[in-house]
Amino acid sequence: MAKLLEIKNLHASIAGKEILRGVNLTINEGEVHAIMGRNGAGKSTLSAVLTGHPAYTVTEGSVLLRGKDLLAMEPEIRAREGVFLSFQYPVEIPGVSMTNFMRAAINEKRAYEGKEPLSAKEFLTLMREKRKLVEMADKLSNRSVNEGFSGGEKKKNEIFQMAMLEPCLSILDETDSGLDIDALRIVAEGVNRLKTPHNASIVITHYQRLLDYIVPDFVHVLADGQIIKTGDKSLALELEEHGYEHLT
Amino acid sequence: MHLNLKNMDTSTLHKGDRFEHVFLNEPVDIHIIQEAGSTVKIHILNLPSLQEKNEERLNRIIIDQTGPNCTTEIYGLAYLQGEAKVTTETHVNHLVGEGKSDQLIKFVLEDQAQGRFLGELKIAPDAQKVESHQTNRNLVLSADAEMRTQPQLEIYADDVQASHGASTGQLDEAALFYMQQRGISKQKARQLLVNAFMMDVINTISEESLRENLINTLSLD
Ligand SMILES: Nc1ncnc2c1ncn2[C@@H]1O[C@H](COP(=O)(O)OP(=O)(O)O)[C@@H](O)[C@H]1O
Ligand SMILES: [Mg+2]
Repeated sequence: MAKLLEIKNLHASIAGKEILRGVNLTINEGEVHAIMGRNGAGKSTLSAVLTGHPAYTVTEGSVLLRGKDLLAMEPEIRAREGVFLSFQYPVEIPGVSMTNFMRAAINEKRAYEGKEPLSAKEFLTLMREKRKLVEMADKLSNRSVNEGFSGGEKKKNEIFQMAMLEPCLSILDETDSGLDIDALRIVAEGVNRLKTPHNASIVITHYQRLLDYIVPDFVHVLADGQIIKTGDKSLALELEEHGYEHLT
Repeated sequence: MHLNLKNMDTSTLHKGDRFEHVFLNEPVDIHIIQEAGSTVKIHILNLPSLQEKNEERLNRIIIDQTGPNCTTEIYGLAYLQGEAKVTTETHVNHLVGEGKSDQLIKFVLEDQAQGRFLGELKIAPDAQKVESHQTNRNLVLSADAEMRTQPQLEIYADDVQASHGASTGQLDEAALFYMQQRGISKQKARQLLVNAFMMDVINTISEESLRENLINTLSLD
């Protein structure tokens, strides 16, 4: 199995406060890794650092994506290299239509790969096809990005964008939070259908519930900015039953 | 309805008349007296790629609503670069009741540009049942650009609906990052946000061909 992501001794801080304190994690193609941990453990910080959020400073360590120095890349380059984040809190962008937003994203990625932009017709066909995957209403793509979307619609919209962009590494940050059971099933099925032997996912959650639908190969527990325990999916059940206390 | 706007003095819009005009990078200095039931809809656009970078300009509109049931709509959009300095002044006087006025004035400032909006709104003591809204929104894209906003509201009637709001800000960093995370370059992301900011003024232009033209020229779509 080819190595997709290698995180070594990653330390990162925000506003002078160290949040990640030596994270080590290797992800191979085809794998699903769950990261669990209490509120404030640093899960969203890890996803922000991997995607290049400007508020965070990496103070130590390295991250390689298919052998390339991920941390040296601008956020948009990381995205075009195939890193996708399903945001814990998707951002509303009034006045920018879903269509214009997606067209810019797809065509900039294609340009980066040396491909021609999609024609208007090809693009709309692709949008329609991917919308179906998450049972997203047609009308949503005429609206501004996430504006006025319900919590569930926002999360579906994240998975829709993931389907459009076909990332090699997707990070799902609490994609299950605030979803009712139907929306959860749709989102999880979407994610499962996008799985290939060549891509991988990091599923961040603090409920075991999502992992009934998206079955992880590994479960990691993040506490105080470090991975303190790794196991298989039974670890998630154990955490559900006994909480995090007995680990720390 | 045609008003002679060349020599700025005072023009009167007679009962029931309608005056609609888009001032696109043209000097604006007009005083319109509106009689009962008349309608004014004015756009003042100062747009880049269509204008000199370093010009200084004063846009001034004075409106007197002198009869009931008048409607006044004023839209302003200035996108300034270089050392451009633009002041837009609106003076809307509701001298009688049962009139409406709506204003949406926006500035986008880059480089060392300076924008100024002075919005004077008067509702006379007996001008009851007036509905009046004034909104000023500004986007400052450079640390060296400067925006000054001076709303001046003098409302002497008590049975009116009047609202005003002014805000000056930068591009939404969270939105920029969200777009970059989808592979959109920072520059393109900025452009999309600036376009979104400008579109709601452009969208109020009645004449479709002009609207489309502007959208194309400014590559707003
Ligand atoms: N802007 C900030 N300034 C200072 N501390 C922050 C900031 N943002 C997050 N933190 C802190 O970072 C820690 C980790 O947060 P986060 O990564 O969001 O946790 P999780 O996603 O695991 O709930 C928390 O203690 C939080 O208070
Ligand atoms: Mg979080």
